[in-house]
Amino acid sequence: MSYFNQQQAASNQTFMQLEHEMEAMTDVFNKIISSCHTKCIPTKYSESDLNKAESVCVDRCFSKYMIVQQQIGSKLQELSQNVQEMNAEAAARASQ
Amino acid sequence: MDINALTPYDRNRFMAMMEEKQVKDSLRLYHNLVERCFLDCANDFTTKTLTAKEEACVNKCCDKFLKYSARIGQRFAEQNTAMVDIQQQLISENASQ
Repeated sequence: MSYFNQQQAASNQTFMQLEHEMEAMTDVFNKIISSCHTKCIPTKYSESDLNKAESVCVDRCFSKYMIVQQQIGSKLQELSQNVQEMNAEAAARASQ
Repeated sequence: MDINALTPYDRNRFMAMMEEKQVKDSLRLYHNLVERCFLDCANDFTTKTLTAKEEACVNKCCDKFLKYSARIGQRFAEQNTAMVDIQQQLISENASQ
């Protein structure tokens, strides 16, 4: 492959990575918007400003969402590692 | 990974994608906001038009939602800069080792 083609392939890969990243980010953002609104904003709408209690709730809701995301992420990673190890062991045993 | 690593062709593709996403996102925001404020505010079906109370509710609902989403956006941006800082720190630590 020529240098030029290599450069194009790398660029294309970066483009796809950026696209995935953007998609994941907007997805998380929209999920937070919808769940923290349900949890923190009462449906009475007696005022148009966010009051103190709502603001504090929103900040904490955001922070907790991030923590839950991280925790579940590492749990899933652990789990998939275990599965991979088990598969490798099974494959090793089968080949014996 | 950043936009500067892209060829001019892919950079244009990226810009077009972002623009399309923005259009889609603002449409989604609009539809979600209408749904939420309708569900929360329009509950009296003895009249065909919005009552004064419902109209006031819809206005407050909309204003509040925009302030709310701005706040979340702010927190989101803070989180992102914090993540970038950590990544850069890790990179510089690795480089110095």
